[in-house]
Amino acid sequence: MRHQNTTEHVTNGVNRLAGMRRRVVGAFSGIASAMFLAGCATNAPQDTFQPKGPNAKIIDDLQKPVFAVAGIIGVIVTVAVIMAVIKFRDKGQPIPHQSHGNPALEITLTIIPALILTVVGVFTFRTVFDLAKTDDTEMIINVTGQQWWWEYDYPVQTEYGITKPIITSGQLVIPAGTKVLLRQTSRDVIHSYWIPALNGKRDAVPGRVHLNRIEADKPGIYAGQCTEFCGLSHANMRMEAVALSKADFAKWVANQLKAYTSPAENTLAKEGETVFMNQCVRCHQVNGMKRADGTPVIAAPDENMVSGAAPNLSHLMSRNTFAGAMFDLLNKSCREDVWTADPESFGAKYLSGVSEECLNQKDLRGWLRNAPEMKPMYANPALLTSTGGKYRGMPNLGLTEADIEKLVAYLLTLK
Amino acid sequence: MFSTGSKYFFGITFLGAIAFAVYMLLIGESAIGGTALFGLVGATALLTGLVLFTRDGSNGEEGVAASTATPTSSIWPLITAVGATLLLVGTITSTVVTLLGVVLLLAALVEWSVLSWSERASSDAAFNAALRKRLLNPIEFPVIAAVGLGVIILSFAQITLAVEKSVGAIAFIVLGSLVLAAGVLFSVRPSLKRGLVTGICVLGAVGIVAAGIAGAGVGMREELVKAKEEGHYMHPECGAEKSKYFDKLPLEGVSATSSVDTHIDLIDGKLVASVQGIAGNQETITVPRSNPTNIVFRNKTDGEYRLVASLGSKMIADGVKEDVVLCTQLIEQGFEQLLILNIPKPAEAGKPFTLTVPGLAGQSIEVIVP
Repeated sequence: MRHQNTTEHVTNGVNRLAGMRRRVVGAFSGIASAMFLAGCATNAPQDTFQPKGPNAKIIDDLQKPVFAVAGIIGVIVTVAVIMAVIKFRDKGQPIPHQSHGNPALEITLTIIPALILTVVGVFTFRTVFDLAKTDDTEMIINVTGQQWWWEYDYPVQTEYGITKPIITSGQLVIPAGTKVLLRQTSRDVIHSYWIPALNGKRDAVPGRVHLNRIEADKPGIYAGQCTEFCGLSHANMRMEAVALSKADFAKWVANQLKAYTSPAENTLAKEGETVFMNQCVRCHQVNGMKRADGTPVIAAPDENMVSGAAPNLSHLMSRNTFAGAMFDLLNKSCREDVWTADPESFGAKYLSGVSEECLNQKDLRGWLRNAPEMKPMYANPALLTSTGGKYRGMPNLGLTEADIEKLVAYLLTLK
Repeated sequence: MFSTGSKYFFGITFLGAIAFAVYMLLIGESAIGGTALFGLVGATALLTGLVLFTRDGSNGEEGVAASTATPTSSIWPLITAVGATLLLVGTITSTVVTLLGVVLLLAALVEWSVLSWSERASSDAAFNAALRKRLLNPIEFPVIAAVGLGVIILSFAQITLAVEKSVGAIAFIVLGSLVLAAGVLFSVRPSLKRGLVTGICVLGAVGIVAAGIAGAGVGMREELVKAKEEGHYMHPECGAEKSKYFDKLPLEGVSATSSVDTHIDLIDGKLVASVQGIAGNQETITVPRSNPTNIVFRNKTDGEYRLVASLGSKMIADGVKEDVVLCTQLIEQGFEQLLILNIPKPAEAGKPFTLTVPGLAGQSIEVIVP
């Protein structure tokens, strides 16, 4: 009887162990499958395997074969290791004969990888030189990085209707099918500009100008991300390239060059303009804004910011994002409408800008209420001794709800 | 209870914990220092545990036998004394002396502690010495090599600062050739006597250090002294030149000239701009606000000219404005000068910003700051 109980106990233990092993293997397989399938997502805006322009395609043409070769080698090595581990695991057998050196095998295993690397190296060099080509550039845009947003300025280029410089941030607007050269630099630390659908990464280094060529095949929005760790909000330093048809791009340029119009007297927006002049112009420029005495309002970010710059808010509502492209100016449904638009209708939807109905009131008001709470920044006045009181991001201005109401009304006029 | 090694690590852990507590309670303003000290405490606590667990890797018999062994002679007590003296002298003389004292004390702390510990590791003196070498040689050799290299470089720098530019270049070529020749000789003749190789190396090093000391004694050559006194490399001049000494090629700004944003050329009396990445000559240049932009002015016209950047005006007191003007020095044909623009305000702030050459009417390049 006791013997039977013991046997049953052992059998139960073995079954439990086997069950546990099955669960562990099942969980591991599930996680691995989920990770594998996540790589197959087609709606990933920063997918490096979905090139949307010639430069990105050049990279894609190199990386896919290299990944394939590396993948095959990886599978062979992994299978060989697993087989060796299973087949030759310790079962109490005597230690097999130990041999040292096999010149033929060693030479073969050295030459094969060397040949593979040589072939990869040749194609890599060719790709590097292809990507560095800039002599057929059709358009120039200066790109300046700072913690934690990108500034874009368009030098005078009359062939595109740019008769005086345009300055914007958050979204880089380009004509589709045009070879655009980005002249990148930085005001504070090293950043890296990367819109995977259009080209590879290129560092933006203080004191240097690096060239980066992009081109989008079709109109649309292409998302990117700073890829060089640049401080507290590095993960929130995003960018979007907006490609418009040439006709739509001309409309965008014309809108950006439109003169500033002050809101009508006795409106909430006009009161908002006054709040803006008292609070925001310490850092933010709105081109063409004038004081009551007719003197131009010039922002002084150099006196308040470590980087010496803050986003120029001229025509803010012609963009879809703010705060370093971290937040949308459009609410969810309007944003979805623009992002999912087909190339033919995209331009019209983008150029319609941000209306009051489409405005993402929650995030914009939250930002005006307490910006550092929404995006981590070194903006605590008590901790600015090392920067001489200068901020690295937007501080909490302590605006009242009434001021915020006025400011939102005013900002909506900046189209 | 405590083994010899564990006492050592326990001591560091204890001191580290006190330093951590003092830092966090009295000094700490950022988490970085606290994290570093906490990391030190954690690491040494781990080592304490390991050493306790393994009983210093020795058995009791060796310990008893070793406890009666006489300590070997050591230079580290002397270095500790020198370090402590420098530390004290430095507090009333110079920070450099203090730092040197701290470095010597830290080196002595590590060396002496490990030496003492290794001498009691076993009763076998040869084994103990080998143990000390195994622990410290991987640190000692790179540090000694780095210090030696630093001394050589510093000495050679003193030589090149003291002699004429061309002589310095020749000295560099000669020295490089000698080092190369010695290297080749040592590699093709591995059977050379060790004493001979050591002699050549020591002789070379002593020669360079002696020449460096002599160079430091003589001081920098006249043009460098003048340029330093007059701040030539930092403040481009407008108006009459203060000195005949200045760098006619902007060699002082290696990092700046390695990334030139714009070249401004004066060709046959005409001013043209070529901007990196943009094909053809430009009549305007666009530079970002609050960001250094490197501009190189090249004179390709017969005569002496300078580039003048007129960058609007700035308020220096209530209601008082001052023009912001930057200039290169006057340079002859075939020379170039560097100008670094860092403009905080957009061009709308005042009259257009321009680059001009005095004496040449109608030659101007507009600087646009968006």
